[in-house]
Amino acid sequence: MAVVTQVSQQSLRAEEKAIADRFIGGFPWPMVIWPFVNTTVWLSLWPLVFAGLLPLWAGFLIALLNLSVSYLPSHDAQHNIIFPEGSRWHWFNEFVGWVSVIPMWIPLSVLRVTHYEHHRHANHPDLDPDYPMAAPTALGGLGKAIVKSQPRHDRYGETLNRLGTPASRKAMLHAMIARVSQYTILAALAWSGHVWEALLLWWLPLKISSVYINFYLSWAPHRPMTQQGRYSDTRAFRSIWGNIASSGMQYHIIHHLYPTIPLYRTPAAFRALRPILVQRGCDLGSM
Amino acid sequence: MRLIGIAFGFGPILFGIGFLAPMIAAILELAGLSGPFGLSPIQFGLVLGIVLGAVACRRKTWLW
Repeated sequence: MAVVTQVSQQSLRAEEKAIADRFIGGFPWPMVIWPFVNTTVWLSLWPLVFAGLLPLWAGFLIALLNLSVSYLPSHDAQHNIIFPEGSRWHWFNEFVGWVSVIPMWIPLSVLRVTHYEHHRHANHPDLDPDYPMAAPTALGGLGKAIVKSQPRHDRYGETLNRLGTPASRKAMLHAMIARVSQYTILAALAWSGHVWEALLLWWLPLKISSVYINFYLSWAPHRPMTQQGRYSDTRAFRSIWGNIASSGMQYHIIHHLYPTIPLYRTPAAFRALRPILVQRGCDLGSM
Repeated sequence: MRLIGIAFGFGPILFGIGFLAPMIAAILELAGLSGPFGLSPIQFGLVLGIVLGAVACRRKTWLW
């Protein structure tokens, strides 16, 4: 009986993989166009506001949108979706990943090392770098996102130190350079009479968007972060804001099962894989 | 590396000087106020920025 169960499990897994494979591969144009447009718009805000061609309040709203959507293309690049490792074009994958997060001023290397740890140890209280977002309610999740942005309250530096690999040491160096350069630029702007621009085009949008990103990317698809395992550490959910406004995270369960499916294909992959996910007993919310 | 770690520990104070001080001064100027005890807006901004940064350093948070 146990053998039969094992065989049926393997067969289900093979069926699952065959379906998922239909959504992997090809050149993900949206994930390449998106970061170049987004970063260009954010960089353009500075001369437009300095020249008085755009009011600062409008710049703030646009910057808030830019910062809120800047992470996702880098997320696809972290998983080498644009061009896989070993491809002669892999440098372009890295380029897209770095350009995407210019507004956030976070190195791709840091995001990749810590995000891979998240995938390896999703919801593990000690090893998942995103575990500090664990909270049973949405209000608690928002609170944790605010706490995470306080000095030395995130777990990324600790994760890089713990790993001690060449990649994590390089990422740590990148993180330090990024932090010093970001604060230097902010201070230079503030002391040269552009404190409102620094505040409203960068620092405040960065802080607000980091709460949004942590809420929708870390808390919502993993809550309450009490379960581990391939089919139980991530869930599908219906957001009151819809899939786009919740950063496409309604179908994040697909990403954890098959991380090389591009973000914009996860809704279709979810619909195709849904019968198998039901058989696996996944939490699919009301999706 | 340890020295760099210590320097990063003082990050909130540096942030207080580099960013908060001119921001506090700009808020005072926008409100048409001068600093207390005869301090100029930027002098007051520096004092408050360093104090807030030191508190954030010690408590590891800006908010509570």
